[in-house]
Amino acid sequence: MTRPWARALRIGVVIAMAALVTVLILAFRRDPHDIRTGTVGKPAAAFSVQRLDGAGSLQLEDTRGKVTVVNFFASWCIPCKEENPALVRVYERYRSSNVVFIGVLYQDSRESGLQYVRDNGVTWPTGSDDDGRVAFAYGVFGIPETYFIGADGVIAGRHIGPIDETTLVTAIDELRAQVKR
Amino acid sequence: MTRSRIVILIALVALTAAIAWSARPAPETNAQRVDRITSELRCVVCQGLSVKDSPAESARQMYAIVRQRVAEGRSDDQIRDEFRANYGDWVVLAPPVASWSGLLWLAPFAALAVGLALAWAWMRSRAAPLPEAPAAEVAKLRERVAREEALDLPADAT
Repeated sequence: MTRPWARALRIGVVIAMAALVTVLILAFRRDPHDIRTGTVGKPAAAFSVQRLDGAGSLQLEDTRGKVTVVNFFASWCIPCKEENPALVRVYERYRSSNVVFIGVLYQDSRESGLQYVRDNGVTWPTGSDDDGRVAFAYGVFGIPETYFIGADGVIAGRHIGPIDETTLVTAIDELRAQVKR
Repeated sequence: MTRSRIVILIALVALTAAIAWSARPAPETNAQRVDRITSELRCVVCQGLSVKDSPAESARQMYAIVRQRVAEGRSDDQIRDEFRANYGDWVVLAPPVASWSGLLWLAPFAALAVGLALAWAWMRSRAAPLPEAPAAEVAKLRERVAREEALDLPADAT
């Protein structure tokens, strides 16, 4: 005959294991490029950085009311080069609409950054985050990293790692649809 | 109390006070504060290294941010909260107790409780007395043994 406490203990162990398996399944289902902690869902931190082309400063404040894509990159970053063609194509697709792209150079010299944007056809405004303060304010883990800011100035999403065209277009279209509503 | 005892007592009190005074914690300098705070923050591009211990560029930049915040007169909590706001609780090497990641603190106690419960259950099962046979059954067996002894037959012969 089974004692009640032994039965309860067995049930408890089974429930604990089931809970553990559930947590693991949910954790593995999450897209590792889409980390929801930190700055997502909060107002995007205002910043002002020196433009790489030397034409003054670049300020996030100037993009208020527009869908804004902020991309952190560096000339030494191989995945940044991998994602760059997708960024160029999507930028060309939306450049006449109310969508703004901003490139933020991270942990790199301005000379190398300027050479990179010239060599890779980056025509959207780019600026240098010399002391890493902008990256810190956005919670950047490593580059490339891309943030999507809605017209309301709130960070709607982030993508860690090289981004593809579909992900860019989907995120931008979602934010543009919100503007139209 | 003699005079010599009073002198000894005063000397002891003075000595104790002097030791306590010399052993008091020195006020923390700003540099020490920066070191302490950055040793509690995780380097975001490293594995298991604090901002203070990491040579990575991003860690050096975070160190500079903490140094600036300390110079601005911000409290430890304000600085930690800024890092947590940007990177989540993960950035604090010792997760705050009042948060989801704070559940980690409970894990060792939960594991200990489960282990104790299992050990207790195992000991109970070993120490549990055998269930007693029904009296009628015992009486029947006694009667059979007596009968077999009387016949002087081996016990397993039926």
